[in-house]
Amino acid sequence: MTPLGESRLLVTAGAGGVGKTTVAAALAVGGALAGKRTAVLTIDPARRLADSLGLGQLTGELRAVDPAIFTRAGLEPAGELWAMMLDVHTTSDQMVRRFAPDADTARAILDNKYYRYFSTSLSGSQEYMAVEQVRALVSDPRFDLVILDTPPAADALDFLDAPDRLIEALDSKAMQMLQTSRGGGLGARLLGKGRELIVRSLNTLTGGQFLEDLVEFLGVFGSILDALKDASQQVRVMLRADTTRFLLVTTPTVSHVDEALHFQATLAERGFPFGGFIANRVHHALPEAAEGTLAGLAQGVLPEVALDARVALLQRLACGQRAHNRMAERDAATLQPLVAARAEALAEIPLFPLDVRDLRGLARVAGYLPLRG
Amino acid sequence: MHLPPLLQRRFVLVTGKGGVGKSTVAAVLARLSARAGRRTLVCELNTRERIPGLFGQQPVGGEVTRIADNLWSVNIQPDMAMEEYALMKLRFRTLYRFVFENPVVRNMVRIIPGVHHLLMMGKAFNHEREVEADGRPTWDTIIVDAPATGHGLTFFQLPRVIRDAVPAGNLHREAADMWALLTDPRRTAVHLVTLPEELPVRETVELHGRLTRDLGMPLGHLFVNMMPPPLLDGAQAELFARMAEPAAGTPLHDLWATGRIRMGREALAGSYRRQLEALHMPLVELPILYTRDFGPDQIGALADRLLEQSR
Repeated sequence: MTPLGESRLLVTAGAGGVGKTTVAAALAVGGALAGKRTAVLTIDPARRLADSLGLGQLTGELRAVDPAIFTRAGLEPAGELWAMMLDVHTTSDQMVRRFAPDADTARAILDNKYYRYFSTSLSGSQEYMAVEQVRALVSDPRFDLVILDTPPAADALDFLDAPDRLIEALDSKAMQMLQTSRGGGLGARLLGKGRELIVRSLNTLTGGQFLEDLVEFLGVFGSILDALKDASQQVRVMLRADTTRFLLVTTPTVSHVDEALHFQATLAERGFPFGGFIANRVHHALPEAAEGTLAGLAQGVLPEVALDARVALLQRLACGQRAHNRMAERDAATLQPLVAARAEALAEIPLFPLDVRDLRGLARVAGYLPLRG
Repeated sequence: MHLPPLLQRRFVLVTGKGGVGKSTVAAVLARLSARAGRRTLVCELNTRERIPGLFGQQPVGGEVTRIADNLWSVNIQPDMAMEEYALMKLRFRTLYRFVFENPVVRNMVRIIPGVHHLLMMGKAFNHEREVEADGRPTWDTIIVDAPATGHGLTFFQLPRVIRDAVPAGNLHREAADMWALLTDPRRTAVHLVTLPEELPVRETVELHGRLTRDLGMPLGHLFVNMMPPPLLDGAQAELFARMAEPAAGTPLHDLWATGRIRMGREALAGSYRRQLEALHMPLVELPILYTRDFGPDQIGALADRLLEQSR
């Protein structure tokens, strides 16, 4: 297996709110510092990330981070850093234009009343677009390393599934029938005994014209299916390549850890390469000052303040240490299932007192990440 | 027992970014509602169940199951919801099997996006209409632990999309009824949950805008979860700010470092909380409980805190 540090594509996945985008950005900064020409694709309009990279705003257009910003942060990147945000509308329109046999067909699809609805507002569409965009980046010779920040893990399965599901759906009998037969209504397109009954029942469930409309849409859309099928086959291969790694980001929260484990099992089941767990915002145990030592320690601080007040302050701080350490214990217990699953593959990023909001912060986070392994 | 204003509506949706504590808030609300003697149902939607665990119980799966006094839980599964809905409309199980076990139909249902969400929502919606033999509603409070924000919005607007896209018939009627419930301020409250952190706050502000402007959904309370309680009082905080960094590697430095982490988190949380005030929603804080475990006792403690704030 190719070492993690030599990957071409790193995919960060995990539940919403675990800091995936920050980790993806830190990986990208780490990659650039290590001399790689790196591109990071984020899904969220990550404004802070854009700020910290000096890009003002991330758009659907790939943009290079100015090396001067690295210099100002006291960093010397031997490589390059590029960033862009996924724009579902644009990517999906581009896909239609690229794959449609001619301009009229493209127009017919783009103008269909269900097209927007299917391409942007419903679950699954963002995933199709993200993998399509990343496919373009990975095959771009300008980059050595591509980092993909995925949508939250509730969709992560959808995300992994997207190319497979697309192929499966396109190969399905229903689709073939919908594509090949014209006229005669939906009934004629469904094979098998009792199709009239099936159609009547489905119409009872949905009512009205919905099914007929849907069939019409799929009919027009059908013209780009073969091209889409080829593209998703490539994506399927790319996501399972030896130079691809999935990094599962989590926090010490039960639901996030559950999702990370669930996701790891899914990766294994479907043959996607697992690269490790990254636990973000972990309370690391602090050394505790014994109660009996506080009065002595108070001698050494704030000499102008009454001793009682100094002792009281240190007592509160010691109390804070104990609270922090109870959380550290809770965090360790919460992360235990990950250790049990793959101890060697767990990287931890400690809870920082401040948000990570600049290149220096991202570089600091990168220091905790498995970039060389 | 006193019922806080945040539980006066029957159909309660809890939403927010993933991992901000939606299930915790749903559990705390459920605890309060059940304590007030109301028959309470918590619906999770096809997820790894959290609610029964927070009441010290095993996962309950797709069947409505009692997990505490006056409290029931269910994890709605799209396939079961589909069967239930189809049986209601088609009336015959054999017909259902005939139609839905047909592979062509199965595939069709799979590739129509949004169907699963609509079905799960429909099931939660049916619980709202459920009545006993004497005509009394089965549930006094229904709490839905809704999907994370991005998906949540799709999920919430689905009934309206379907109502407008499908001109007539059963599906249209169902979707229209569902949309009417979701936007009825007498029956429904959408509670938002967030953390005092950058991304959750920004997403909450966006969510608030979309829910009020685009969807017109009736909002309830804004829950700010995991607020760090102040470690130092005002005078101590001033002293701490004057304290010079002690020599590294000493016990004094350890104490100072603790204070720095904690004061940093508190200040940050405070500034994010202030950003949320601009939304003018009734705001409730749930503190970080610095305990080793998080289970029924902590849910009880948070329920008490909530009650104090909503009197």
